[in-house]
Formats: sequence, C-alpha cells, structure tokens
Amino acid sequence: MSTLAVAKRDFLNVRRSKLVWAPVALYSLFMVLFFYGQSSSSDPDFHMVLFSLLGIGSVLVIPLIALVAAYLSIAGERESGTIKFTLGAPIDRSSVVYGKLLARSVVVIAGLLISFVVGTVAAIVFVPDMSIAYGDYLRFIAITLLYAMGYVAIAVGISAATSARSRAIAASISFFFVFNIGWFSLPISPTEVVSFVLEQLGENPDNYQNLTELVFSLSPTGAYLNTMDFYMPARIASQEAPVSTPSDPFYIQPWFMLVILAAWIVVPLAFGTWRFGKAQLG
Amino acid sequence: MTAIQTDGLTKRFGSGESGVLALNDLDLTVEEGEVFGFLGPNGAGKSTTINILLNFIDPTDGNATVLGHDVRSESKQIRQRTGVLPEGAEVFERLTPREHIAWVEDAKGIQADTDAILETVGIADAADRKAGGFSKGMQQRLGLGMALAGDPDLLILDEPSSGLDPTGMKEMRQIIREQAESGTSVFFSSHILSEVEAVCDRVAILSGGELAIQDTIENLRDQNEGVCTIDLEVESVPDSLGLGDVAGVKNIAVNDDEITVTCESPTVKVDVVRTVDERTAVTDIVSEDTSLETLFERYTGASAETADGGSSADGDGGEAVEAEVPA
Repeated sequence: MSTLAVAKRDFLNVRRSKLVWAPVALYSLFMVLFFYGQSSSSDPDFHMVLFSLLGIGSVLVIPLIALVAAYLSIAGERESGTIKFTLGAPIDRSSVVYGKLLARSVVVIAGLLISFVVGTVAAIVFVPDMSIAYGDYLRFIAITLLYAMGYVAIAVGISAATSARSRAIAASISFFFVFNIGWFSLPISPTEVVSFVLEQLGENPDNYQNLTELVFSLSPTGAYLNTMDFYMPARIASQEAPVSTPSDPFYIQPWFMLVILAAWIVVPLAFGTWRFGKAQLG
Repeated sequence: MTAIQTDGLTKRFGSGESGVLALNDLDLTVEEGEVFGFLGPNGAGKSTTINILLNFIDPTDGNATVLGHDVRSESKQIRQRTGVLPEGAEVFERLTPREHIAWVEDAKGIQADTDAILETVGIADAADRKAGGFSKGMQQRLGLGMALAGDPDLLILDEPSSGLDPTGMKEMRQIIREQAESGTSVFFSSHILSEVEAVCDRVAILSGGELAIQDTIENLRDQNEGVCTIDLEVESVPDSLGLGDVAGVKNIAVNDDEITVTCESPTVKVDVVRTVDERTAVTDIVSEDTSLETLFERYTGASAETADGGSSADGDGGEAVEAEVPA
C-alpha cells in the first residue's frame, strides 16, 4: 500500500515537470522524420523505419528519456529535504524505491506510447502505400518498453544510492558512457578486451565468438540490439549480426536477451534498495 | 507510558580525530500528553536527536523509544502515530496543499478533514495552488498541516517557527496549545526561549550535544528567581558608584554611560536607583525580567537573542553576569 501511495504522489508531481517530456518529444520527432523519409522512397520499407528507430533509440533517445525522467527521483528528494516528509510518514524505505520506479516507469511508458501513436499517424499520413507489419511493430514496441524500464530502474537505482543531485548526474552520465559509448565505440570495449586476451592465450577465434557475443549483450543496449530476430526480417537483421540459429548456446539466443533486460531492472533496483536502506538522512 | 524516552543516546559523526560528537549520552523523558520544549542554540544536537527518533540516522550508542516503540526496529509504528514537521524542509513544489494532505491520507491510511486543517494553519485560500511559489512561512504552515493530518498521538516539530513572522509564530503557539488540550503530546525544538516558555510544560536545554538541564518552566523560574538586572542610563559615570555597599547587589557592569546592575532580588533595584541618583543624574531606567533568558545563556554559553539572529543582542551584559563583583 505504501508503495502505491509513494507512486501516486510521485506520478502527480513528476508528470507536471516539463523536462521529463522533452526527450519524449525528441523521440516523436525522430519517428516522424523516419516515416517521412520513407515517403520519398519508391519502395517504402516499414522494417527500415524500425531499424532506424532501434538505432537511435538504443544508443541515445531511450536512455536519455529514462535517465532524465528518473535520475533525480530519490537523490532530488534528499537534496531538497522532502525525503523527510516522505519518510516521516509510515513508509518503508524500500517502498520509496519501488514507488518511484513505478511512477517513473508509468511516465516513461506513457511518453513512449504517445511517441508510437504519433509515429503511426505519421506513417499513415506520409506513406499510405507502405504496409505496416503490425505483429513485428507490437513486438518491437513491447521490447522497447522493456528496455526503457531497464534504464528507468538503473536511474532509480543510481538515485537511491546517491545523496545529492550532482552525484546522481555524475553517476548517470558515467553509466551511459560505460555501457553505451564505451561498450560499443571505444577501441578498449569489453568485447575487444576479451577477444584480445583470448587471442593472446592462443585461443581459436571460432571458440570464443559466442562468448564475445554474450559480453556484447551484457550491456542493456547490447541486449536490446540483439532482440532484432523478434521483429526484423533476416535480410535486415543479418546486416548487423549473424542471425541466431537454434544450435547457438542459450546465452546468445534472442529470448535470453529478454532475460538480460529483465536483470537490468532487478539488479539496479536491488542495489539501490540496499544502499538507500542504510543511508543516513541527516 | 512515556511519549519519548532516550537512554544514553550518543551520535558521533565521522571517526577518529576529525569526528564530531553531536550527541553525548542523552537521557530524555517526555511524558504522554505534555508539551515539551527542546531548547538549545544551533548545532546543539536538537535535529540530530529528532533524526534518530524518526530513524533517519542511526545512533552510535544508546537506545530510544517513541510511544513505547523502539526507534529502529519499530519505526513504522512510530511514524504511523506521529505527525512530523522536519526542520526547514521544502514541500513538493508541483503539488497543491490539498494534494499534500491527500498524500498523508494515503500514506497513513487515514481520512483527514483537509479544509479544516488548511484553515487551521492559515493557507485555506491557497489550497489549490502549486506549492512551488510558496514563501518559507507558507511552506512551514503546509508542513504543519501535513503533521496535523489524521490527529496523531504525538507531534514532533523541528524548529516549527522558522520562517514565520511574529503573527505566524503566535498562531503556531496557539495550534500547539490546542493540540495539547486535545491530548496530543508535543515535542518541539527551538533556539528561541520565549517561544518555548510560552507553551511548554517542561523543557530540556541542550548544549554542545549534552543535556544541560531538564525541568519544568516553573522550577526553572523558581531556581533562577534570585537573578534580575536593572539598566541605568546616566549623564556621566561618577568615579565611585557606591553600589558596593548596597546589600543584594551581585554584579556591576559599566558600558559608556550605561550601568547594568545584577541584583539578588527585585527589591534591591530601588536601592540601586536611589544610590546612583545621589551621585549623578539618571536619564533612563530599564528593568526587565530576564531571569530565564539569563538562565538560557548560562547553560548554553550564548545569548538567546544572538542565536535568534536579533540585532539588539547585549552580549556584554550576558558576560558581565558571570564576572566577579567589583569592589
């Protein structure tokens, strides 16, 4: 009950924040642009739009939406002192963390759904000839929401573990750099490091390809990118990575990507709850 | 049953040489139904104590119970029955006062008469305005309203009058009195003696993290009755005041053309005036009952008015009380 009380109040409070809605507008804008882009094509391809959305959403917009919506959820209350009103009431500290996750998730999910509605309307208006693969579209939306919730949980977890706005910002940006940019774009990315070490040990690349694929997928963004088989035809998916086959080990199967994304909800939340539970709120 | 009980409560921030002992072996007893003033200058450890009572921070040592519940293992039960006004806390800027009270209802699982509460704390006309633009005083009133919702058994108010103007302070005292009459125990901290004096049954004075005294206002007055002061403004200070021979004079302090005399009892004042008047022209006489003020200063080592940020602090007078009687 106290989780719901926190969630209800927090939802009322945060939905009135304009800053939270700005990244949502950005995502809607990209969606409109991508659909509009197909209108000039002689052979409009719905899955190419999904592919573009996956790219921009995974590395930039979804993390941005979720981090902005939730990084201050608890640290901000500690900084302003409102946390003492919250915890002056008979509320468990864990309920504060869960309530915040609930409220911020609802805001983020609502924002994304609005974006998808805007995008779909844009598709129908700009490219009436294009056939929308609704089944793939729904799976893409569902998995995108799961990815977004993972990032909300990460932001709430960071917020619960930090005592002030500045630290929450620093930790959120650090996480973004390590698990997004660092994971994929730097020459010392974890997959490169693992490959290099195994190569030096004289291993045959064929033997650790699956392992580096798993390392890639351990970041929330990597896992999200590797869900393509659920909604993308092989002709597009195969441009990025080999399409999975039933003979692959379970840990690089598409369904396991969903497990990893779910873990990105549970683990940061558990960490945040643990840290906040013993925080000194002086 | 006691409303609040602490046994050897100790809080140390940091460790080793740089550590600060914020609270040292505090034994406090607040009876049910009484209004208890928790007095001390800023930094004396008042908020630290309240933070421990509400389980915001862990004590380094000692125990405490509130309404019979242990502050650490049964904190939720305590907070269910307690209304809390934290020190200088901001309210939720994007919510209206009505939504603030609704949140307390949700959190405590109670029903409150929102309109009546907002009327009591004097912000009924702002009930549906977002609290972001509220002044410090209005936020304080809203905070008190949240504390009052659900008619709690105990009110814990940390510096409730901070940010309030004199009218607001008076209303705050009135509300505290009404709550006490309806059987609610009230525990409130303050660095302003007059505020505590006007409403409290008992007070504790805290200084440097230690309990200096814990007694009823009445007892404190009795105990301190012997000390009163009189200020005389004179045209020129004579070489010899002759006050050393007046029975009952405890101390004399001269500051430019002002003579401050500390007397054993109020009846000595008139002798002081007569004696001085024989030697020089007295232009003004100020006689105030500052006994509790003096007591507060003595226990905390600070002028109460200075702690209040007041401009007319008379630091010299406070020190002079401690000085030896000059021959």
